[in-house]
Amino acid sequence: MSDTLELDDLEELECELEAAETAHDRTLRRRAAALEIEPGADWNDVEHAMLTRRSIRKFKGRQVPAHMIRRILEMGRFAPSQGNCQPWSFIVVRDKAMIAQMEAYCVAVCQGMTASVDYTNYPEGSEQRAAILANTQALNRASPNSFHPVPMTAIKSIANGRFAVFHRAPTVILILMDKRGVGVPAIDVGCVGSNIVLGAQSIGLGTCWIGFSKLLSSNTELCEKLGIEEPFELAEAISVGYPIGNPTQQTISRQTHQITWWENGEKQILY
Amino acid sequence: MTAITVEKAVVAADHLPIWDDPHEALYKQVTIELDKCDGCKLCTVVCPANLLELYGPKDNLKVRLKADVTGCMSCNNCYAVCASRGVYATEPYDFAGFYEQKNIGPFEFPRRF
Ligand SMILES: Cc1cc2nc3c(=O)[nH]c(=O)nc-3n(C[C@H](O)[C@H](O)[C@H](O)COP(=O)(O)O)c2cc1C
Ligand code: SF4
Ligand code: SF4
Repeated sequence: MSDTLELDDLEELECELEAAETAHDRTLRRRAAALEIEPGADWNDVEHAMLTRRSIRKFKGRQVPAHMIRRILEMGRFAPSQGNCQPWSFIVVRDKAMIAQMEAYCVAVCQGMTASVDYTNYPEGSEQRAAILANTQALNRASPNSFHPVPMTAIKSIANGRFAVFHRAPTVILILMDKRGVGVPAIDVGCVGSNIVLGAQSIGLGTCWIGFSKLLSSNTELCEKLGIEEPFELAEAISVGYPIGNPTQQTISRQTHQITWWENGEKQILY
Repeated sequence: MTAITVEKAVVAADHLPIWDDPHEALYKQVTIELDKCDGCKLCTVVCPANLLELYGPKDNLKVRLKADVTGCMSCNNCYAVCASRGVYATEPYDFAGFYEQKNIGPFEFPRRF
């Protein structure tokens, strides 16, 4: 065998391994083969958790037991990461006063933002409206990702008190990202969060990612108090609590996305 | 006769409004099927933007959008909790007016393969 394994070598190796298979190995292999799922088979537990998960934005007042939070963070800890560098740490906030302080700061920022971009606050034809509209349009063009209608609507609702940033959840998990992480650490942080929300879903908890938590970064005093220190930065937050009602009883429809499928030298487009 | 009240965006419901277009800055896009709604109140509790309210006689309560709504984000939290599937965000996200969507197919519920 040469130093680099060719495809043929691999097949040979596979045969050798199969020949050397013990009875125990054989049982395990057959059991795995039996698990191979048929087309259209029922969802397994993981699929069920993934396909029925919703972002929860209203929670019961009851606090989640600490061990359950530890449990979902443990699932986060085993997320994949580039170079296995695991560029994250967590801050768990279960302190009502602290969450209230975080909420109040984000609300204040949103109020400032709407004041400078929400032209609908002023009557049609007024000078202020025209000025603010021009400002909004400039910002919208300059930074289309942040001025998307959905977050803008949320910002407006946060400012006028209809919508709570952290959804008054009893527990808020802040995910910090080590900026020195290999490659693109933000992706690793996304993987951790994904494990956390799905893990929480699987043990009956509701979660919501809180992108607005990033507003906290501009408050150095609060960040310091929370324990956010270099080289870490606040990446995202996830609110956790018991959901009201049964939001996982049904699935929703979602967009399908193009899948370009290459096989046997042919290209197919699937959805 | 199915009593369906459809509450839609003030302007074109075929895309989400652009924040900087004055005609599209307000939107309320949620369909309420009155014959399905049994007035259980759950959706009014979970709506994060606090947009829904009950109305009507005590023995026949129905849900509706509050008169002054401005902020439905099509999050479908209301649909998720409604056991009778009486309320749902009508026009799922289509950002046609915001940016052109590419490589997108129709909306589908989870499929089995
Ligand atoms: C990174 C990230 C940040 C988010 N930030 C917020 C947020 O600040 N507030 C909120 O209500 N939802 C937030 N969401 C939740 C999305 O709105 C939600 O996932 C999306 O509407 C799909 O709905 P579903 O999670 O119920 O399937 C965020 C989601 C992600 C992935
Ligand atoms: S959850 Fe459904 S049944 Fe209950 S009030 Fe809302 S629409 Fe009506
Ligand atoms: S889609 Fe969301 S914001 Fe709109 S009415 Fe339903 S729960 Fe409220």
